[in-house]
Amino acid sequence: MPGRSPETDSRAPWIEKVLPTNLGVIRASEREILALLAGLGYNDDHRFAVRLAFEEALVNAMKHGNRMDPRRSVRLAYRASEECVEIRVTDEGPGFRPNGVPDPTRDENLQRPCGRGIMLMRSYMDKVAYSPSGNEVLMVKYRDR
Amino acid sequence: MLGGDLAHVTDFQGIKLVRIRTEAIITDDQVEALGRALDSVAEVPAQRAVLSFLGVGHLTSQALGKLIQAHKALAETGGELRLADIDPRIYEVFSITRLDKVFKIYDREQDALASFSPGRGAEG
Repeated sequence: MPGRSPETDSRAPWIEKVLPTNLGVIRASEREILALLAGLGYNDDHRFAVRLAFEEALVNAMKHGNRMDPRRSVRLAYRASEECVEIRVTDEGPGFRPNGVPDPTRDENLQRPCGRGIMLMRSYMDKVAYSPSGNEVLMVKYRDR
Repeated sequence: MLGGDLAHVTDFQGIKLVRIRTEAIITDDQVEALGRALDSVAEVPAQRAVLSFLGVGHLTSQALGKLIQAHKALAETGGELRLADIDPRIYEVFSITRLDKVFKIYDREQDALASFSPGRGAEG
């Protein structure tokens, strides 16, 4: 629900989109966010972090959430200020338990080819919070941290 | 040449050298193209290979997955995939995921090539 934001004090307007489940559409929105952040003075490291987390969240929503079902959509909402950028991604899948994903950095999981997306999101963003059902994620990155 | 537009595969004294020719490995097409290039390298038993990331400024966890698959496929036949020319920000991704413990990573592709032949340098 992009209208509220208990996580930050940002008053920047939300930009909302409904994306088809098609990995090819991710980059256009990604470019828009990165351009917005560049204009607000976010440095290269911040934009690298947001780009990585944004990609992982959208790919997760389409692949694991919507199972690449073209009848399902992904809702994207984002807003940015000189303080922080917030990105909310909601899929139409059944949800999942983020804490149930095995830690990919444990020795026994290092050779697994998947399972690193959420960990990277958490590493590169200042806040990553899932809805109770697990099909919505909110990510926050502060400019001056 | 193997690997299509995204990756260029050449032979360097029996070692396969894979150079990526895109700034980012993030789309499904890019990830799959990387996978195909690495699969072609792994077809040869006991193949030794170097993957150079020169010019690559971004990748996703899916691309990391392809690297791991190639690493495992090569290792199963006694081969090995070594990495080189990794941008500091990308290196941090390897470090965070602890994949720097899985792969041998070198500053330059010449160093990685030479590492397969101790005592004999590799020319660029």
